[in-house]
Amino acid sequence: MILKKTSVLLLVVLSFLLATSVVGAQNIEITYWTHTDDNRTVIENRYIEEFQAMYPNVTIKRVVNEASKMGDLMLTAFSANNAPDLFNLPIEQEYGYMAHHRVAPVNYEAIGYKDAEDLIGQYMAGTFDTVMMDGQIYGLPLELTNWSIYLNKNIFRDAGLDPETDYPKTWEEMIEVADKLTLRNGEIITRRGFDFRYPYYLVAMLPMVEQLGGSLLSEDGKTAIVNDEAWIQVFEWFRTWGPHGRNLGSPTYTSARKIFNMDNNDIAMAHTGFYQQGRIRVDNEEFYDSGEWMVVPYPVFENAVNDVGASYYGHFMMVNAQAPSERQEWAWKFAAYMLDHGWEYLETVNIIQPRQDLIDDPRYLELPYMNVFMDDMARSHMVFLHENGFQFERFIKEAIESVMLSNMPSEEALDILRERIQEVLDDTY
Amino acid sequence: MNAKKTKSWSLEKTFDVLMWVLLIAACLLIVIPLIFMFTSSAMPARDILRMPYPWIPDGFHWPNFWNALRGPEGDFIFIRNVLNSLIVSGTVALFTVVFSSLAGYGLAKFKFKGRNLVFMLIMATMMIPFEAIMIPLYMVAMRMGLQDTYTGLILPFLANAFGVFLMRQYLITFPDEILDAARIDGASEPRIFSTIVLPSSGPAVATLAILAFRSQWDSLLWPLLVVQSDEMKTIPLYITKFMAETHSDEGIMMAVAVMASIPMITLFLTLSKYFVSKEGLTSATKG
Amino acid sequence: MRQSKGFSMERKKARWGWVFVTPSLLLFAAFSFYPIINAFYESFFNRNLLSLRPPSFVGWNNYTYLFNSREFWLSVQNTLIFAAGTFIPLVVFSLALAILIMSISRFRRFFQLAFYSPAVLSSVVAAMIWLLIFDPRGLANQGANSLFGTTGVNYNWLSTTGMLRLSTIIVYFWKYIGYFTVVFVSGIGSIPETLNEAALIDGANRLKLFWYVTLPLLKPTTMLVSIMTMIQCLKTFSTQYLFSTAGAPTRPINVITLNIYNTAIKDYRIGRATAMSILLFIVMFAFTWLQLKVSRTEEVSHM
Repeated sequence: MILKKTSVLLLVVLSFLLATSVVGAQNIEITYWTHTDDNRTVIENRYIEEFQAMYPNVTIKRVVNEASKMGDLMLTAFSANNAPDLFNLPIEQEYGYMAHHRVAPVNYEAIGYKDAEDLIGQYMAGTFDTVMMDGQIYGLPLELTNWSIYLNKNIFRDAGLDPETDYPKTWEEMIEVADKLTLRNGEIITRRGFDFRYPYYLVAMLPMVEQLGGSLLSEDGKTAIVNDEAWIQVFEWFRTWGPHGRNLGSPTYTSARKIFNMDNNDIAMAHTGFYQQGRIRVDNEEFYDSGEWMVVPYPVFENAVNDVGASYYGHFMMVNAQAPSERQEWAWKFAAYMLDHGWEYLETVNIIQPRQDLIDDPRYLELPYMNVFMDDMARSHMVFLHENGFQFERFIKEAIESVMLSNMPSEEALDILRERIQEVLDDTY
Repeated sequence: MNAKKTKSWSLEKTFDVLMWVLLIAACLLIVIPLIFMFTSSAMPARDILRMPYPWIPDGFHWPNFWNALRGPEGDFIFIRNVLNSLIVSGTVALFTVVFSSLAGYGLAKFKFKGRNLVFMLIMATMMIPFEAIMIPLYMVAMRMGLQDTYTGLILPFLANAFGVFLMRQYLITFPDEILDAARIDGASEPRIFSTIVLPSSGPAVATLAILAFRSQWDSLLWPLLVVQSDEMKTIPLYITKFMAETHSDEGIMMAVAVMASIPMITLFLTLSKYFVSKEGLTSATKG
Repeated sequence: MRQSKGFSMERKKARWGWVFVTPSLLLFAAFSFYPIINAFYESFFNRNLLSLRPPSFVGWNNYTYLFNSREFWLSVQNTLIFAAGTFIPLVVFSLALAILIMSISRFRRFFQLAFYSPAVLSSVVAAMIWLLIFDPRGLANQGANSLFGTTGVNYNWLSTTGMLRLSTIIVYFWKYIGYFTVVFVSGIGSIPETLNEAALIDGANRLKLFWYVTLPLLKPTTMLVSIMTMIQCLKTFSTQYLFSTAGAPTRPINVITLNIYNTAIKDYRIGRATAMSILLFIVMFAFTWLQLKVSRTEEVSHM
């Protein structure tokens, strides 16, 4: 009796285990991490549904976090060996993972290409430069973005300026124009002319140094800070901008791109990308339709030796090298499926995949101010990339803050910056 | 006595009035930011940073609360995050009470070799600040696969040296006769603990539970390290997410602040005697 | 016969003692002892959080680096400035408020609760509120301007080094003043009324009573409060973290805990971060030990 009971129980348990293991083996779950973007979430959720309908044994779990936290989160996930299968980050944050072999090379066959050459041919020249290592490509581009200057025409006119002709073409003009546009209550600023894109110093501020002939590292990458005068001129420009100078703004005021769309008479110019238009359209359709905004190029210094625009950066889809190979394959398949909708990404999310067929499409250059963005991109280069790029940006941030807010002498701030970067370069780990 | 009083009334009375004025002024200064939080949550963002600040809002701006609930993704994840905070804080409070009273009882009422050593060791852990061990703790939790789980959020905080201390102090004074009588009656030790000791430890248990709950509710550092997904975020993480968002509307942020504070404020008002009582005080480093 | 029965009763009780204590002990072992020992161990290596390479032994390098590092001493300085700048006002004002409260006869409880209320908010909420208050257009500037009779002056609460530090101190002070006021209130309250009456009969007025009777009897409490605040202040993290991620400059408020966090999570340097943690631990150990000693003597003070 007991024997019968136990053997029946055993049979039930075994068949249950078998069933679940079979089902388990069949069903593949891909985790996909990305950053918040209302418009993109809508279309990507649809792609997930379509993909899952095509391949019923695959489920995609999409997780979003805000962009500024993504870097930290990915880091903790990878260090716990618990990273998602598929993710995207800005290239300057992804670089470290590639250098440490934490991400896998593209599976060309899985996504319908013969090899790396074939894939490269489909995209704009230079697209894959920063994600190639030893002849292999490590990411698929989600977007290539550069920033130019958005301008609120109403505010310009209110200050007695003509937006079409009076917009700043040099950084020196930027100070003067912003001064005319700025409204204050005593010392407290209530309307700013322009606001810098503060945490992103590598993209938005380093080119200013390069315009004057300076650079962050020497050619061989071994020495920190080249051309002190260039750096000091930029530091001084920031001091003039801040509360200890002409009082035109500071990192402690609300970031421009958050309030520009509202057309609330509090910010005249913002430094942001093509995608901002999509957000203006969503946040304030009236403002969008009124045409009371425009885009102008990134300014240059009067004594610039190089005409350099703000750096562009990319977001690439990458796959975790430690995921089982089957999941990796599906991750690439899914990524490619999403990315195949290039035009929809452009129209709905306003982000540009540098696919040749997209850029050759006649509708492309007709998009509002696309020519301004393209011209700016033509005179820029990819954002500074380095295994420790993350850290260097933090050091630059602290240097600028010291000069601008704590009124530290520029030479001292530069020396501290040089020391800290050099130390990282000299480290064996 | 009376004669003395009426003679120097002007000095005494002025002192009195001065005391009251100072107290009320201090009270106002402390409370103003709280009032600011409440009034700001009811006004649209552009009014909050207006100069001068419009103390009385122009009608109640409901969209703040609606959007706060809705969350930046529109997925009402805030509700889930509140739930997470409740689950984590509640579980920690519950188990802290259980483990601490067990240990406190053992240390108070049982003589065994090495008892003093154990007590000293446990007290020694109070000297270890969380910030000093957070990195190894994080790596241990990662290796155990506890990231992004309730267990990961709860486990490290169940060992509460102060809780053990509190329960031990309280239980030392528990009459031995009652325990011995129960033993003679044949009751087992676990029985004695659960049916006699624990129920009569009400005040200490309540104080400990509230302290543990509040400490977890406020916790930012550990969840920051351990939580990765949106769903598992606790309230402090939800708030930091909001602060970094592309469209951080101050009105919505204040509404989030209000909603996040309601549980603790309710607890505070209803159980105020445990906060401002003698036991509630010696909560040493558990601010 | 009776002796052996008593003896086994003792053994049984001893065993039960262990049974009750073991669960907690295991938890402490796993989550307190092990991590601190592990931290000590890690501080001799150079683990990189992101690299898959195994770390190598570097001996005392991490410690010597820290002792020679300008940034490290800056965070020590920041932490000390913050701690001193917070704990002195906290102790002084909480004592003052407690005395004020005890000299009125009604509404004592109300005032204590009012002062205590900020402690009920989470530190993230507190930081959010104060970030808005310290915004150039916010209440802090408005208040300061009307107080000093100026108009439109920006006191740069979140920009300049000194003001930024002051701002973090204000937030912390605001949060904890009520808590310590209550401690002092109970301290004053536990002074037997007989002592006060005896002094009054001897001819002391209120001022003399305070100076010669109350204050000396409060010394142990004052000591206790001082050490408690000092420890709390040394551990500060949320306020500085939240302010620095909201746009305020990091350098002036880069306290030790924030430094540890950034070194580990942003610079990936586990070895260095754990070395700093151990140094912090040693300091905290000293202070907590001091606190325990003082609290034990406080019990026997009044007679």
